[in-house]
Amino acid sequence: MKPGDAKPAATCWNCGAATAGEHFCPACSKIQPLPAGTDYFAFFGLARKLRVDAVDLEKRFHQLSWKLHPDNFAQASGRERELSLERASQLNDAYRTLADPIRRIEYLLARAGLRKEGQQKQQAPPELLEEVFELNESLDELRTARKSDGSNGDLAGLKRRLEAEQGSLQHKLAAVDSQLEGIFHEWDAAMDAGADESSQMKLMTRMNELLNRRSYIRNLVASVRQELAEA
Amino acid sequence: MGRVVGIDLGTTYSLVALHDQTSGRPKCIQGPYGETLCPSIVSVDADGTIVVGEAARRRLLTQPERTIYSVKRLMGRGVADVQDELRIFPFRIDPESQHVIRVRLGERVFTPPEISAFILRELKSWAEEFLDEAVDRAVITVPAYFNDAQRQATRDAGRLAGLEVLRLVNEPTAAALAYGLHEQQRGRVAVYDFGGGTFDISILKLISTTEGDIYQVLSTSGDTHLGGDDIDNLFQSIAHEEIRAAQGLDLAQYPEATQELRKALIRAKHELSSAESATVQLALPTGGEYVREVGRAEFETWIGPIITRTMSPVKQALADAGLSASEMDEVVLVGGSTRVPLVRRTVEEFFGRRPHAELNPDEVVALGAAVQANILETGVKNMLLLDVTPLSLGIETMGGVVAKIIPRNSTVPASAQELFTTGVDNQTGIDIHVLQGERELAKDCRSLARFQLKVPPAAAGMARVEVKFLIDANGILQVGARDLRSGEQRSVEVQPSYGLTDAEIEKMLEESIEYAEQDFSERQLIEARNEGESMLHATEKALAEPQAADLDGNERKRIEAAMAALRAAMASTDYKLVRARVDELNQATMGLAERMMNRALATALEGKRLEEV
Repeated sequence: MKPGDAKPAATCWNCGAATAGEHFCPACSKIQPLPAGTDYFAFFGLARKLRVDAVDLEKRFHQLSWKLHPDNFAQASGRERELSLERASQLNDAYRTLADPIRRIEYLLARAGLRKEGQQKQQAPPELLEEVFELNESLDELRTARKSDGSNGDLAGLKRRLEAEQGSLQHKLAAVDSQLEGIFHEWDAAMDAGADESSQMKLMTRMNELLNRRSYIRNLVASVRQELAEA
Repeated sequence: MGRVVGIDLGTTYSLVALHDQTSGRPKCIQGPYGETLCPSIVSVDADGTIVVGEAARRRLLTQPERTIYSVKRLMGRGVADVQDELRIFPFRIDPESQHVIRVRLGERVFTPPEISAFILRELKSWAEEFLDEAVDRAVITVPAYFNDAQRQATRDAGRLAGLEVLRLVNEPTAAALAYGLHEQQRGRVAVYDFGGGTFDISILKLISTTEGDIYQVLSTSGDTHLGGDDIDNLFQSIAHEEIRAAQGLDLAQYPEATQELRKALIRAKHELSSAESATVQLALPTGGEYVREVGRAEFETWIGPIITRTMSPVKQALADAGLSASEMDEVVLVGGSTRVPLVRRTVEEFFGRRPHAELNPDEVVALGAAVQANILETGVKNMLLLDVTPLSLGIETMGGVVAKIIPRNSTVPASAQELFTTGVDNQTGIDIHVLQGERELAKDCRSLARFQLKVPPAAAGMARVEVKFLIDANGILQVGARDLRSGEQRSVEVQPSYGLTDAEIEKMLEESIEYAEQDFSERQLIEARNEGESMLHATEKALAEPQAADLDGNERKRIEAAMAALRAAMASTDYKLVRARVDELNQATMGLAERMMNRALATALEGKRLEEV
């Protein structure tokens, strides 16, 4: 434990040496339990930044896999096998999360308590309300037309209209993605500049709005695609 | 500790392989018939004797009601799941079956893991005969698309066979390991594994790193009820139909003739892999004959739809890996059904490249299992397998909707933590239902387990229990819980939806002792002691014979010392020591034996002229 370190000292379960939260004890090389609340970024020895070099991340993932995978502990004690399972599953969870930009950002927001992981808001973002309303109307018409084998309304025309709507939604989605890209840069710059918690929070709130918008549009695209496929 | 073997527990055939230390390569072990393939067939005699493999196959014809094949199709499944198979397979399901199927064989009733354990025991004994030492640990392969219950059932079978299952390895991944060793392949590899009863597709990435080679599975998909069996069943129903039409005979009423027909059809199927036509011939039980020539083209029209069914998992796996067919560097064919020319053509056309089939498609999975067994046994660290879970793990939430907590194709081990609380005041338990599958509603997914978290009575929402769901490297779920308020670990009693409980396995282990062959070393010890016993007896008898009087004092002393040493060894449990002492006594009595032989010969020759000898 370094002088002035406020955290309780992590010590090796086997030899009692200070471990500083490392995967292995620096003294006896035994695998160590995972300190509660270890952040996925820290697990890989990365700063909490949103732009991640995929090649570098994969390399780190493979290096740690060699060390932590349960295969390495097949002949080890029960305690070590358990710890390897814990560390290796954390490694895989962390890689799965950080390798995907959307999961990465969701994770960051979840850690900050802004979002439950994997949760999707189903409420329409206000600026999309009008468009959603029109879209739902078109979808309804399409369903009615299909039920009556096209005798009740212009099926082909409706399909064309929906396809156009789908195109416009795709554009909106691309716009959201580029906004997200922009905010990744902003966030990383803020981290580099040592931004305070309130400015971090402001950025994260914007990210959360973008994510909600993105998932809402994606769901719309999916439902239009499904209706068109069935029509 | 004994050696670790690799076992391919297949639907139609099973194999055992191990790392050959001389060649540094894995090899399949031969059984008593000189074959590496052990038919996955089990038969139970009236006296309770269990017969496995080739011998049991013959009983399919003579005692079909005591014999079972393709039991892998029943592993980890409930009665409702197998209704379709029951129409085709002659499984006699016990009406008492509940969460685990029970099959009737003659007078007895067995669960699928027990029947699989008989096959595993057989393979274990092959390996023990070959190695001349006990085998108590194994790596067993399973279809990549097996769910948690099917994996648990396989592990239970290992346990019932007296094997510690060090790892369950996915069959296509095992095949990739064997191929990687063989061909030094790199890059992206698709493994198309079409076996007797299951179909798997896995997309892998083979990476060379400074530490060694990593076999990383990117995605997997499949169908655990699609295989060569389906081709046979289709073929069979066509033949039944034709016999009914021509002769007005329902062959299904004659189990022996049905098996005879199935055998003939399978032979024809095999012939059609190389010949343009094959003839099926069967003497009908009511007299007359069924003779049918089948051309390859006709055969391919029949089986086309079955082969097409394999392609949607292939597309799914590619989509999940984010790759297209043309981006694959290699395609590998595994499983006996990939010998069918239409299968090869279909795969080649889809991927636009000629698939690899250099290694024996029947053996390659077992060989890969042996590679993994060697990694786990010796700690060789120049190869690492990173596999995935084939199905998403979820928990049931309000309204029967499933919340996915570990997505499919996550590298294993993988985990997820969920926080649970109470909804009403003084609630003392929180019910949790774990499922596997891709559908939105719990009723459409596979139920894995249910359990209840106990919480102390308090106001609603006060309890905070964190549950950790972990899928281990075998693809099997483990559950742990922690009360966040007290920090206490909570043990979780998980009731599997379609599996044996620990108590049931314990009971079976006790019961299985009656048919369990003795443990290898125990069996060896008994044999060595018997040998020692007869050796001592013979020596004592010889020493009492008149010829022994000729022995000089030293020789007699040597013999007596060797006898005492053998007696001491026989009192121990070390069969190798007993054998060594038997050999030593043999050496010590050599002179005596020679003298007795001469005397015996002299007696025998007495009164005979030389030319008569």
